[in-house]
Amino acid sequence: MKRVLSGLLLIVLAATLVVSCGGKAGTAKGVEFVMGNGAEPQTLDPSKIQGVPEHHIYMALFEGLVGYDPKTSLATPGLASSWTISPAGDQITFKLRKATWSDGTKITAQTVVDSWLRSLDPATASEYAYMMGMVVKGAADYNGGNGAKEAVAIRALDETTFQADLLGPMPYAVDMMAHYAFAVLPMHVINAKGDAWIKAENFVCNGPYKLLEWKPQESLSVVKNDKYWDAKNVFLSKITFLPIDDNLTAYNKFKAGEMDWSYGIPLDLIDEVKLRPDYQVSPQVATYYYIFNMTRKPFTDIRVRRALTMALDKQELVDKVTKGGQLATTSMVPVMAGYTPAKGPDFNVEEARKLLAEAGFPDGKGFPKTPIIYNTSSGHKKIAEWVQESWKKNLGIDVTLVNQEWTTFLDTRSNAHDFDIARAGWVGDYLDPNTFLDMFIIGSGNNDGLYANPEYDALVKKAATMKAGPERMAVLQQAESFLITKDQAVIPFYHYVSQDMIDTTKWDGWYPNPLGSHEWKYITLKK
Amino acid sequence: MPLLDKKTDKAVNEFNQYVKPVSLWADAWKRLRRNKMAVLGMWIVGAYLVVTFGASVLPFHSYTEQQMLHVNLPPSLKPAGVVALGEHEKRRVDLKEAIERSGRSDLKTDLERVDAEIIQLKGDMDVNPVHKRVYILGTDYLGRDMLARTIYGGQISIMIGLIGTLTAAFIGIVLGSLGGYLGGWVDNLIGRFVDLMYSLPYMLIVIIIMSMLPTGSNSIFVLYLAIAMISWLTISRVVRGQIISLKNSEFVEAAKSMGASSNRIIFRHLLPNSLGIIIIYSTLQFPSFIMNESFLSFLGLGVSAPQASWGTLVSEGVQGMQLYPWRLLVPAVAMTVFLFAMNFLGDGLRDALDPQSKNRS
Amino acid sequence: MSRFIVRRLLSVIPTFFIIVTLSFFLIRLAPGGPFSREKKIPPEIMANIMAKYHMDEPLLNQYFRYIGDVLKFDLGPSYRYKDHSVNDLLGAAFPVSIMLGTMALGVALLLGTLVGVTSALNQNKWQDYAAMSVAVLGISVPLFVIGPVLMLVFALQLKWLPTSGWINSRAGWKTVIMPIATLMMPYFAYIARLSRGSIIEVLRSDYVRTARAKGLKERVVIAKHVLKGGMLPIVTYLGPAFSGIIIGSLAVEQIFVIPGIGKIFVQSALNRDYTVIMGEVIVYSLILIAANFVVDILYGLLDPRISYK
Repeated sequence: MKRVLSGLLLIVLAATLVVSCGGKAGTAKGVEFVMGNGAEPQTLDPSKIQGVPEHHIYMALFEGLVGYDPKTSLATPGLASSWTISPAGDQITFKLRKATWSDGTKITAQTVVDSWLRSLDPATASEYAYMMGMVVKGAADYNGGNGAKEAVAIRALDETTFQADLLGPMPYAVDMMAHYAFAVLPMHVINAKGDAWIKAENFVCNGPYKLLEWKPQESLSVVKNDKYWDAKNVFLSKITFLPIDDNLTAYNKFKAGEMDWSYGIPLDLIDEVKLRPDYQVSPQVATYYYIFNMTRKPFTDIRVRRALTMALDKQELVDKVTKGGQLATTSMVPVMAGYTPAKGPDFNVEEARKLLAEAGFPDGKGFPKTPIIYNTSSGHKKIAEWVQESWKKNLGIDVTLVNQEWTTFLDTRSNAHDFDIARAGWVGDYLDPNTFLDMFIIGSGNNDGLYANPEYDALVKKAATMKAGPERMAVLQQAESFLITKDQAVIPFYHYVSQDMIDTTKWDGWYPNPLGSHEWKYITLKK
Repeated sequence: MPLLDKKTDKAVNEFNQYVKPVSLWADAWKRLRRNKMAVLGMWIVGAYLVVTFGASVLPFHSYTEQQMLHVNLPPSLKPAGVVALGEHEKRRVDLKEAIERSGRSDLKTDLERVDAEIIQLKGDMDVNPVHKRVYILGTDYLGRDMLARTIYGGQISIMIGLIGTLTAAFIGIVLGSLGGYLGGWVDNLIGRFVDLMYSLPYMLIVIIIMSMLPTGSNSIFVLYLAIAMISWLTISRVVRGQIISLKNSEFVEAAKSMGASSNRIIFRHLLPNSLGIIIIYSTLQFPSFIMNESFLSFLGLGVSAPQASWGTLVSEGVQGMQLYPWRLLVPAVAMTVFLFAMNFLGDGLRDALDPQSKNRS
Repeated sequence: MSRFIVRRLLSVIPTFFIIVTLSFFLIRLAPGGPFSREKKIPPEIMANIMAKYHMDEPLLNQYFRYIGDVLKFDLGPSYRYKDHSVNDLLGAAFPVSIMLGTMALGVALLLGTLVGVTSALNQNKWQDYAAMSVAVLGISVPLFVIGPVLMLVFALQLKWLPTSGWINSRAGWKTVIMPIATLMMPYFAYIARLSRGSIIEVLRSDYVRTARAKGLKERVVIAKHVLKGGMLPIVTYLGPAFSGIIIGSLAVEQIFVIPGIGKIFVQSALNRDYTVIMGEVIVYSLILIAANFVVDILYGLLDPRISYK
């Protein structure tokens, strides 16, 4: 007993000692920044990344040919100081600047070639390699094991000139290349160490920051990389990423002043969060929607699909249920530069009831008890409950709600297609309507509702071969109107907004932007 | 402690006088009624059962009906319209202050909407009977009555608690006493089986069971099965421990030497003497079953929305407790009171069934 | 006794083997896999991934490959946390969980027996009701409520403690207070109530009556006889409780951002991260079997009436 007590005393003493020695760290060495980063990063290897937390870390550690503009999310010079696009629009030539890895090794055009080929190599098993396959000639074939490495149309013209042939005139290709799927990798380390290059002792990078310490599930910190070409303009001396997946904790931690930026917002506290001056909200290129299973009765009937769509007052949903400033919509594609989304049917209960009666279900009589499936989350649940009650009130039909944990849900929706109505959300990978539309073509792995309209497919494929400009956008808009009015394969609810907690009266260089890509090197303290 | 006269098989006391045989249960009942806390607990449990399972015939609001103008109203005895108007006006002040501070445009749209709703409320207040409703325990995020939701939530939670406790006690007693009394390879086999059940990844097993059912067919039976599957593990070990410790005691030796059968020794001597621990342990497990249900509902097993259980109500309430404390407190207090009652009842039962106190008080 | 130990050890090996084998095949029955994604991975890329992790081979081959690796103490790579091996992940998380769990269970044991003994000695008096009410409260209020409430009060309102984090973070040892206070609650409640019940029983037993009759001082009776005899159900409970507190502290780890095993345990199941699930099953079952083993041996030491034949 005595020993236990004295042990306890010792612990308490040690604790006070640690606390008193802690003190203020880092005032002499520069400004530190702490970010609540949602979840534990799955990997630091850019070829294997997928997900938002990894993206934030990637932007600190690596720099591709181009980066993201902090306000528009469009391509800005990165490793490449400039680029030119061929007159036909299907070839891009990048001019590289003088830059080195954090160990001093030079980065050349050949490094870029080797890096892209490594990401495409089937043995690397990169999940996002398909993005390169979407734009670079020969990339998909090599990655899929149907083509030679040499057939990938990328080349180093000289030490500082890199050239890539595209599959067609793809206006969004350069902007896409800011994505981590197009990362430049330290091939000299990868060749020497293999998969172990990612270990802290071997790790080499070319971004504004380099890895300091990674404690799984606890924190990952990076410090300024002196070898970075623009190091003199990098302001923050250290960034710590905390893997906090509990939104309430993240919010409390931010409130207590222990974090500078956090994107974990507890939905139930949105009324309080909104009033705070450090709450940042901006439209995101992302859509929340429900999909119909187009092969199941009675959803094979367009009148049923449209009636269900028109019976939902999405403005009420965003005003009273989600409340975060989401934008109620009838379209699948959010507004983008140069693109006006097609418009779907508006909220109209009378018309909806009429359509449902025409389809053989007057006042909802005889309508089968349909389950809506959604993945477990309190946000999705609230929306589903609202939908259920709206349909009951407006159409007199009863639906049941079925929640599933994420992986089961994906299996049911995407592999088995064993559902009638399912919740879905899509975040654009790049700023072009195509990212929302090409998933609904026949045979697409993401066409979970098995929507099949050859006319639609033809329009989407046609747009892929067209040059940038209003004509192309018009074709895409026509395709979208098939999806959301003529065929009503989906019910779009709202466009997401990105919600962040960061005090912009303290920090400069952080702006809300459509892809939520905040390059670290721009962030400074306000003077 | 009464012994048995071997010839007549009648109870005798220490002085070899015949004692009037009072059955264990009648005797326990007599003593239970004397325990004030236990009686109180019994009344509370009874009241809960009547209200929750009779909810559909009692005059409560619907637990599914949503009133978008009555979202997140605090508990009050005033009519809903008045409370809602008050809340809207409070919100208006907050928004105005925030707009002055930051001038954000999204707040301005919010303010316009709140203004419009205030006008709507003022106009509707005397016309629409909905605004005359009284939500004594407040409403939730979709303007549903918390009282109704908590009462209906009790149905599933109480059922789960009872079924979990009963199966746990039953399987735990049978396997625990068998292992403890027989010892040797039987004990070893049961013990290793318990280890196995503990070690298998429970969550995945539940997911697998669910995936074998057709989508949307959410059988409540499967929920009971999932709860029962692991409920008995610890209790069987506790019972086994008790039995092992008791089986070498004098009174068991005595019973053995008088030629009592194994059955008789287990059921007449060992178990009654372990009943105390079994009851305490069972009442302790009750809340963990209720919480286990809310965990299983995360996997999609159990009640599906819009129906709630105490577990899901509490876990949702936590998220908003800073702003809407009643959404946490109402279900949490309802559940805690019930669990208190169960525990006092359990304690009373334990004392009443304790064979040591028989013929003494 | 030594025969009992040998027999027990002999039964542990097949049990362990069955657990590993059953788990290996069972977890693959769950819908989806480690590479289920919202944006579905194209089939060609999926084939690359399957080949990389040998998941394209027959299941039986995978099983034997896995068993071979396990015998070499290699639990394989994590499918989700691709930069780490399972050994790395568990190796980093287990010490944290063991530390947190031991401290919480230690506090619970100390407070629980104290409260339980006080209650039992004052049976049906106000001290008893007060103590048991605290215990019932401890078990009725779930951890995911206690944690955020503590955080709200002590970190946000009073600003005494940091909201979250773990020892090596800047806030230091202060971070352990709230997690321990939260995590110990149900265990404290169990121990308090179990010890009250069993001590009441022991107080009435013949050997305590004998001890008192012998004229021993009350304090000696309680310390030597009552406590020792009354600990039995608690010791039994400690076996599963120890393994449970280490692996089952998800809520606390999540709320206070503690890099422990509980979060990995649940996450790996949700992510279908097969190798991590298997690693957890192996380590957990070893701890559990060991804990129960120790408990059985403690029986003999605590209660002289128990003998293993």
